[in-house]
Amino acid sequence: MYCFWQILKMDLKNNFKNPILINYNTFFAIAMILIMGYLSSGNYQNGIDSYNYYAVAFLVFGILEGAMTATNCFMERDIKKPNLRILYSPCGQFSVYFSKITASFLFDYILHAGLCIVFLLLGINLGGWNVLWILLMMLPVEFASAALGVLFCCIFHCEETASSILSLFISISAFLGGAFFSLDGMGKILSAASRISPVKWLIDAFFSVIYDGSLAYTAPVILASIGISILLTFGCAKTFRVEDYL
Amino acid sequence: MEKLLEVRNLTKNFKDNCVLDHISFSVNKGEILCLLGPNGAGKSTTINILLGLLRRNEGTILYEGVKIDHKLHDYKQKLGVVPQDLALYEELSAEQNARFFTSLYGLRGVDLDAAVEEALTFAGLADRRKDKVKTFSGGMKRRLNIACAIAHHPELVVMDEPTVGIDPQSRNHILGSIRKLQQNGMTVLYTTHYMEEVEAISSRIIIIDHGKIIAEGTKEKLKEDFQSEKRYHIELEEKCSIPTEGFYAIEGVKNVEISAHQIEIISVRGVENLDRIISLISDHNERIQNITSEEASLETVFLKLTGRKLRD
Repeated sequence: MYCFWQILKMDLKNNFKNPILINYNTFFAIAMILIMGYLSSGNYQNGIDSYNYYAVAFLVFGILEGAMTATNCFMERDIKKPNLRILYSPCGQFSVYFSKITASFLFDYILHAGLCIVFLLLGINLGGWNVLWILLMMLPVEFASAALGVLFCCIFHCEETASSILSLFISISAFLGGAFFSLDGMGKILSAASRISPVKWLIDAFFSVIYDGSLAYTAPVILASIGISILLTFGCAKTFRVEDYL
Repeated sequence: MEKLLEVRNLTKNFKDNCVLDHISFSVNKGEILCLLGPNGAGKSTTINILLGLLRRNEGTILYEGVKIDHKLHDYKQKLGVVPQDLALYEELSAEQNARFFTSLYGLRGVDLDAAVEEALTFAGLADRRKDKVKTFSGGMKRRLNIACAIAHHPELVVMDEPTVGIDPQSRNHILGSIRKLQQNGMTVLYTTHYMEEVEAISSRIIIIDHGKIIAEGTKEKLKEDFQSEKRYHIELEEKCSIPTEGFYAIEGVKNVEISAHQIEIISVRGVENLDRIISLISDHNERIQNITSEEASLETVFLKLTGRKLRD
């Protein structure tokens, strides 16, 4: 446990020393919300609604993009070699991949929770005190996202490949889920396709809490995310091979 | 001598390619064992298997007589590893790196402080402890790479080509450090393709090529076993006028090359013929300015064994 704690602290430190990761998870999201909010403000009855929509949409998009933080933390070129030294030590393999998942999860969660506070300060509607339910739902989803990133690295043995495929998967999910613009009014086929995207489910769950004060989606999101997290972590345990680090 | 690590019939295949073919060797307590071979010989594969990073197809590895698979945690606790590539966090300081990697071996508190201090001092980096690694020269990074491996006082230090790509001064510092480690009671398994490093530090040498051990012993023994020639280099005051036939007439002389003032003679080892060579030169009223003889080096031993130079 001491070993795991040491690795986790180091992984967190490395993440917080990476300006690209920090900017991508904060300023980039804010910039996207401002741009998309401004561009589509005419499509909403009240201009501010477009910012409310994209704040939630890009928050969800950012949570899924957390998988990319995990691939970076796990197999990025400059990190990979020191990680190999961890494998020389008596710490065991589990500490290596699980600390990357945990560190990415904590890093992304802290930044995204910070984003929520910024949104509140900027007057974005996150449902008042219901923001706490949003923050609670974010927890297991962030973890699942980080586990997904590490699993992709374990499967594809290479950060570049894992990141490329993940990026494609997340972008398609975001597009279908309406992160960029809603597909609900674009015919039955696109609307049905939208339903297969986890981004759509999450956006709906968040909006349900924010605008309806309904927690109907909260428990299913949390339980499903915990289940998926366990499965993905188990997948990492099964597919992680030390040789991939050489 | 007491065996610390013993490898029996180690075999590794990558698909159909056999990179290690039933190699067996042991590392004795307190020695510096050099694994010498050209690139692609199987040195790093051997090391990676010994470190538990690669699976082997066949073979047994014993540490202090116990199979490492049975006590992998204890085994790793006793190892210090200096990898071929720098394994350091560039954005962190030397001290943060040493502290982190040492803590992975369970050290904490004052023990950790003392171990880090000692390792950084050993590597000559105590005064740069707070500086980020990315500001270090290649040689300093290599030294820190070693410091991070030895801070927890391992019994066996495994070094996989730790001097690749550094200047001669840093290399000498590192080689000196390795001798100090041995004096401090550590055992070192050292892989390299630099012959001069082997000459400088080895207690014993294993020459490996194409996944097989082709020779093993001390450097003196290997030279003794494989040395069959002696080379004389003679420099005259004036241009040499002696015909090569004169030298070939002397017993043991195998090859003669004359160019202006210089004479190179290769002679069979064990035949004492230098006095006759000097007499021949005197008989022709030539005056010798300088004369040197060269014993066979490990390089010639390697060439003889493998048919190629080490860095081919």
